[in-house]
Order: sequence, then C-alpha cells, then structure tokens
Amino acid sequence: MEKIKQIWRSLIWSYDPKDKIEATKATSKNFWLHWFPARTTYKSMSITYSFWLGTVLFSLFIILTITGVILMFLYIPSTERAYWTIKDLENSVSFGWFLRNAHRWAAHLMVTAVFLHMARVFFTGAYKNGGNPEANRPLNWIVGVILLILTLALSYTGYLLPWDQLALWAIVIGANIAKSVPPENIVGESLYFFLAGGTQIDQNTLIRFYVLHCIFLPILLLVLSSYHMWRIRKDGGLAVSEQYKIEAKKQNKRLIQDEYTTFTIPFLFRRVFMIFLVTTAIVLFFSVFAKAPLEEPADPSWTPNPAKAPWYFLWIQELITITTVKIGDFTINGGFLGGALIPALLFLLWAVWPYLDKSPDEATGVWFHKSRIVHNIIFAIILIILIAVTIFAMYFRGPYWQVYWPWRWPEIPHMF
Amino acid sequence: MDRRKFIAYLGRTAVVLTFLGQGFAYFRSLIPNTLYEPPKKFKLGYPKDYPEGITFVAKYRIFLVREGKSFWVISAICQHLGCTVNIVPPKTEVVKIKGEEFRQKWEFFCPCHGSAYYGDGTFYGGPAPKSLPWYKLDIGPDGQLVVDTNTEVDHKFRLVVEDLGG
Repeated sequence: MEKIKQIWRSLIWSYDPKDKIEATKATSKNFWLHWFPARTTYKSMSITYSFWLGTVLFSLFIILTITGVILMFLYIPSTERAYWTIKDLENSVSFGWFLRNAHRWAAHLMVTAVFLHMARVFFTGAYKNGGNPEANRPLNWIVGVILLILTLALSYTGYLLPWDQLALWAIVIGANIAKSVPPENIVGESLYFFLAGGTQIDQNTLIRFYVLHCIFLPILLLVLSSYHMWRIRKDGGLAVSEQYKIEAKKQNKRLIQDEYTTFTIPFLFRRVFMIFLVTTAIVLFFSVFAKAPLEEPADPSWTPNPAKAPWYFLWIQELITITTVKIGDFTINGGFLGGALIPALLFLLWAVWPYLDKSPDEATGVWFHKSRIVHNIIFAIILIILIAVTIFAMYFRGPYWQVYWPWRWPEIPHMF
Repeated sequence: MDRRKFIAYLGRTAVVLTFLGQGFAYFRSLIPNTLYEPPKKFKLGYPKDYPEGITFVAKYRIFLVREGKSFWVISAICQHLGCTVNIVPPKTEVVKIKGEEFRQKWEFFCPCHGSAYYGDGTFYGGPAPKSLPWYKLDIGPDGQLVVDTNTEVDHKFRLVVEDLGG
C-alpha cells in the first residue's frame, strides 16, 4: 500500500509542502499545476471582481471536449446519415440525449460567458497595464477578441452538423455571405467554392465544416487560450493586482508579500476546482431539463419561414436585411456589408480599443472607474444597441422577415 | 556577396521554399478538381405535364411558367443569400416594371431576409441586390423540356411549343 501511495505521489503530487518555500515549490514542481503562479493576490480571487468567468470558460471547454469526443464516435458526417445519427442520439443511444444536450448547453453557455467575460474586462479596465512595464495586457485583449471569434466559429460550425433545416439554411446563408465579397466574380465566388468545396452546399461542405469543428478550430482555440492564460502570468496576474502597487506608491509604503498574496495551493486551486464544479452543475441542470431542438431533415427545396439564426447571430441577420445599398445601378449586397464588413469593423474597433484608452493607471482593474466613464458609456451603448437589435429580430420578425407584434405571430419564435 | 554568405542565403531560401511549397500543396488539394454535382443542364419532362400558370420544380429549385403554348423558367434561388423563395399572392395586380405595365398573378417572397420580387422575378423590396434570373429553356429531340441554368436569358424570352409531347 505504501508503495502504491509512493507511485501515485511520484506521478501526480510530486511535493508535500512542510514550510513556505516548499509550498511555493508545490506548484512549480507539479506538471499539472505549474501553469498556476506560486502565490496569488487576494484581490484577484474576489468573486465580484472577475466573477471567475475565465475559469468558467475553461471549465466549459473541458466539458465540450469530453462530450464532443464521445459524440464524434456516434456521429457520421454524411449528408445522408448525419441527421439520422442525431435522431439515434435522441431515440436509440443510451444517454445520447444527455450527451447532445450537455454539448449544446455548454456551447450556448460558452458564447454567453465569452461575451460576459469581455464585458467584465472592459468595464473594469482590465486591458490596461497600470504602469507595469512588464505587462502587455492590450495584446492579451486582442487574443481575447480572437478567442471570441473562434468561439462563434465553433458554435456556427457545430450547429451545421445535424444537417437539419436550421443547419442547411445557416450554411447556405453563411456561404453566400462569403460569395458576396466584392468583386463577387473573382473573390466572392472563389471563397464560396473553397468553403463549400464546390458550387453548391453538399457532402463536400459538410465534411469541411466537420473537420473545422472537431479538429482545426478546437486546436486553434486550445493553443490561443493557453497563450491567453500564459500571458496573464507574464502580465503579473489579473489587472486588479496592479492596485496593490498603485496604492502602495500613493501611500509611500513597501509591499509585503504575505500581506497581499497567499499560496496558490490550496487557496486558488480550491476555488478554481469549485468553479469547475459549479459550471458542471449548471450544464447538467440545463441538460436534464431542457431538450436540444432538432428541425426537419435538410431540404434545399424549401426554406423554413422565417429562417432564424441562433440568438447570438440574430443581430447579424438583422444587419444583413437592412444594409443592401442601391445607388442607381450600383449595388452593394447587404450580405457583404452587414454580414461581413460591419461585424469585422466592430470586432476591429473592439480589438484596438485599449490603444485608444488613455485613462490613468488608477483605472486599471476597477469596476466603472470615473476616469473611464466615456469609454464605458460608449461600450454600454454599443452593447445595448446589439441587445436591442437581437430582441427585435427574435420577437418582432415574423414570416418573410416582416415586422410583427410578437402576440400577433401565430408560431412561437425559435429562440436558439 | 562572398561565398559563405551566398551559401547561407541559398540554405535559408531552400528552407522557406520547402515549407511554402508544402503549404501550397496542402491548400491546393482542398480546391476540388472533380465535382460530383448534378448537371446544370437537365430535362424537365413533357410540356403537357405542366398545368397553366406557375409550377415549382423542387428538385431543381426553379419555377416553370406556362401560358398556353409559351413556357419560361425563373430561378427560385433568392439573389440575396441563396434561400428558396416562395410564391405568394400579389400585393397589387398591376405593377410597373421598367415603365411597362405588368399584370401579375403571383409574387415571390424570401423567408430569410424578406426580399420581394414581382411575378416576373424583378426585385422591388427587401435586401436583394438583383432580380431572379431566367434560364434558357429548350425542347429536346425527345420532346422534353430542357433547362440550361448556365445560360441566363432576358424577361422577354418565351419558348413556344406547338407539339406538347406525349
């Protein structure tokens, strides 16, 4: 028994701390934990500062990877069989419904959590270096924007795979947005041909999006999110930690490590694990009580009326509808303007925002700091517009994408 | 440039070209050379099988219109972002298209973003950037209708069939 314990220890817990120095080494000498810092500041563990959304996202990614890999064994990426393998998940595979629900709910929660995470970072001014010459938080913010786009790309490629009506028409519209990039007969059509793997949406398209969803995008996400977390350490922890230095400088005091930091193990590690458990519990709760929808099998000859995108793309669908510009014979397709150019410019503006923010160091890692009031108001207005457009598209757009009062609409709108 | 520098330069170039070449090969392999798609030119059956008025041919996503002995084909693919448009009752019976009066029995509406087209496929509302194309329609040696979706024709096109076939 002692021998087994020894082997176990040598494999996973290589150090048993007996004093402060050893406790510090407990983190760095353990392969699984060495990406944690040895000590953590108290402020960065505050729930109301970060809401632990980054940890929530990491937890969701783990859940998505596990359920996703199992789903890969049960799914066949063929236009003839894909739909029926999903039906089998619902009707024949033991706990197939649960796997699908968990994967889907974790995905929806991930999109939500990425948005909230970025909103939190923005409102707390956490993309600022706060006078720390070694930090490069604006870079990590840009990585974050790319991670947001990757998350959306994963969701998009994911909901195509069941090859139901939602999937087919989402992919038709997505591929045609690519086709509308001017000059259409050179760039647009080549993009479409490359994305779809032909001149129409078919088997080639499904297998492309399948590989993107299962291999290409997750690996890219894993690499970038690892870099994202590594950068947090290189930047000196969460931005709120800069507050200790700023306050000490103001009061002309020396910082004493024991007063503002504590050991990562067990204090940070325990909290990370608890957040993982809470996230898992939320996903399980939704998975058990809310069923993932599946529309009719894909049928290119008729389009559901209205054909609505999932909630996180509704603002783009609304933009696509209203942005076709016609001046005489000159026309710009709304697919390009509202579906590609405006979202791309919004993301670009979002990505470079830290470089436009010239607020003082004190505003680093503080919720709604008064020196950043203009930034926060502009950001809040953009958020409110996006949310308002989403609600409008969700409840006030009926058949043929016409404006309806929600209570006049005969069918219940698809929310997701 | 001396000999050592030249060889070092050659070596670096070789490394870069090796990887660029591989990258190109990987990328190019993903652009298909052979497509197993249905042909763009296909038979629609005998003219007599189609009733007066408009018929949606679901398999090919086109509308076949018949007026007595005249036939023509309108695409059912929305020119905005590729959804299938639906036939709906007209909002107004007589509309003006390019200055000419046009009497219409139906219109086309798109479920995705609400593009609207007159009965002959001319766009008039919503985000569509252009009108629904008309395709060349012909009669084959066996008397069947043949559509060629590679060739667009204008809105004056009519295929007049004397022998309705069968």
